[in-house]
Amino acid sequence: MAILEVKNLKKSFGKTTVLKGINFSLEKGEVLAIIGSSGGGKTTLLRCLNFLEFAHEGTITVGGQTIYEGGVTDIHNEVEIRENRLHFGLVFQSFNLFPQYNVLENVRLAPTLLKKGTPDQLEKRALQLIERVGLSDKLESYPCQLSGGQQQRVAIARALMMEPDILCFDEPTSALDPELTGEVLKVIKGLKDSDSTMIVVTHEMEFAKGVADKVIFMADGQIEEMGTPEEVFDHPKSEKTKAFLQKSQEKI
Amino acid sequence: MFQEVILSLSSGFVVTIEIFFLTLLGSLPLGLVISFGSMSRFFPIRMISRFLVWIMRGTPLLLQLIVIYYGPGLLFGNNIWGGSGTGRFIAVMVAFIINYACYFSEIYRGGIESISKGQYEAGQVLGLTKRQIFFKIVLLQVIKRIIPPMGNEFINLIKDTSLARVIAVYELIWAGQAFIKSDGIIWPLLTTAIFYLLFSGLLTIFFAWVEKKLGYFSS
Amino acid sequence: MKNLKKVLAVLLMFVMVFAMAACGSDDGGDDQGQAAESDKAYVQDKGTLVVGITDYPPMDYEENGEWVGLDADLSKAFAEKLGVDIEFVVIEWDNKIMELDNKSIDMVWNGMTPTDEVKKGMEVSNPYCTNGQILVMAKDKIGQYQTEESLKELSFAVEAGSMGQGVAERLECDFTAVQTQADAVMEVAAGTSEAAIVDVLIAAALVGEGTSYEDLAYGLILNEEQDVVGFRKGSDLAAELNQFLKDIYADGTMLEVAEKYSLKDFMIEQK
Repeated sequence: MAILEVKNLKKSFGKTTVLKGINFSLEKGEVLAIIGSSGGGKTTLLRCLNFLEFAHEGTITVGGQTIYEGGVTDIHNEVEIRENRLHFGLVFQSFNLFPQYNVLENVRLAPTLLKKGTPDQLEKRALQLIERVGLSDKLESYPCQLSGGQQQRVAIARALMMEPDILCFDEPTSALDPELTGEVLKVIKGLKDSDSTMIVVTHEMEFAKGVADKVIFMADGQIEEMGTPEEVFDHPKSEKTKAFLQKSQEKI
Repeated sequence: MFQEVILSLSSGFVVTIEIFFLTLLGSLPLGLVISFGSMSRFFPIRMISRFLVWIMRGTPLLLQLIVIYYGPGLLFGNNIWGGSGTGRFIAVMVAFIINYACYFSEIYRGGIESISKGQYEAGQVLGLTKRQIFFKIVLLQVIKRIIPPMGNEFINLIKDTSLARVIAVYELIWAGQAFIKSDGIIWPLLTTAIFYLLFSGLLTIFFAWVEKKLGYFSS
Repeated sequence: MKNLKKVLAVLLMFVMVFAMAACGSDDGGDDQGQAAESDKAYVQDKGTLVVGITDYPPMDYEENGEWVGLDADLSKAFAEKLGVDIEFVVIEWDNKIMELDNKSIDMVWNGMTPTDEVKKGMEVSNPYCTNGQILVMAKDKIGQYQTEESLKELSFAVEAGSMGQGVAERLECDFTAVQTQADAVMEVAAGTSEAAIVDVLIAAALVGEGTSYEDLAYGLILNEEQDVVGFRKGSDLAAELNQFLKDIYADGTMLEVAEKYSLKDFMIEQK
């Protein structure tokens, strides 16, 4: 059974329709890469999954349970929204670490406030996750003392701490200097090996090709092409996909 | 004479200090409430809050003191304050707290609105409540940003306390001026400057210390 | 430019000091001789009565470029009686005796209290107007307070450092010191103090019909003083004025003028 099923998701801002009916599903442990030019609706899709935006139509089903239905779910019911939100984690393009807390505090703040375990348990788990992203020597450092790559790795540990069913990445390396993208991608690749379910919006075609089980190419608020990396990258059917891949090749 | 003057100025200074601290005690939290009001998504609350801020910032505190203390008796024939020194002091506190809360609310609002949306969203996706996001994530960043304007307001406040004398609350300037009227000597009034300078000096040191304390992070 | 002015000022001062010293030694005796003869004749001879005043409403104050007020109006009438023109000169109050002796003014009519200094240095008229501190209270209650003793239960507003504060302290009343006498009256109107002690002239101007304080009234006079008019020592104009005051009190002119400045209640009968 699919862990995530998205059906007919639609979203518009005023008169601009950003998502025009998105359908896809994801098995547990799968990594989905979403590619496409900016303005295609990729980020909005992630934000809808995390309830930072609310889709007007369509359903989101996690583990067989429909947690959101556009027009039906009460988006003002804070408690319910907050609970369902925790099925997903989100790593932002701009990290959004909490500047006044050090690395360890950033990672364990939310579960501590939400009482997701005893302080000892949480600290132990936080230390494990920080080790996993390779920052055990920076426990006491504040975000302003870290490089962009290090900050993003802390943000990943912070997201993992909430044990989401599906972890989303919104262009996790776009704000980084080229030489720092590698360390972040390596961490994400490492998560795949430990069987995490992930959705990664990315511009890194090589990464998408190498890590993803499934690739979606989005354009104009629609899924233009969906399939295995081989299918999308090597044998694209849609003209738009071909044009996009052509362009991103040229850039390199 | 010297001793008498210093004694009298000191007792005036105690009143000045009382007005200062009690005003802060009331207006710092009230200002936060008003700032939430003026950022409210509910139109009537937003209008009421902004109207209040407009009135209190747009008219002299001196006038507000007179209206608040004498207004009820003069306009409605019902003096709610009584004639005692306590009634006068309470009226001063009401005027000062509301006035300063309005100034603080605008500083808070500026500080809160300057925090990036990403901070709220990061809190949201981690499942935190609005209250937790505000108090555990946003507030300290806001405080760090509003320290310089707050320092200004605190120093303004210590000087504004001298306005309390229009409704005969015997603060520091009053004590100094009394010697002109009774004994015809001016130096006690000029001496009050030393008290103000000492106190604003302490405030300056305090704010420099807080700024340094919060210097460990940059937001 | 500034320096030039300073130099000129200093030079001018020297000139004046020498001139005054010269006058003092040569003409001093002469002047006094004239005053002793007849001041009335001297004034009528030069054709102008010069009155020393300060800006002191409602006694003497300027309105549309003309001096008016109780004292100013009465001065004008007196000059008319003498058959001379009138001229008002604003003087430094502390120099009033010097001004008279110097003959730069002929009389002082400015709500003057007959202090020892005044009585010693001037010829003074009969008192014509009551001055001093007065009780101001709500109209409907003031009737109950006719003695100083009865005031002790009241809470007062007084101007800080004023004569009124002196009275409140002497009576050992509970009082609040406010910034001005006008503030003291406002305290009573607002009900934040029960009563005020202010100068008679201020009470007359602020309280009663046609003011913002129609519900207030003034009553008991405390520290009563009686204003007089001053002339050069030995001047026969004092007696002349006393007769004049008697006449205008008798024919009602004096009260008519006083009415104009809400001071009718405070005029003293001239017998």
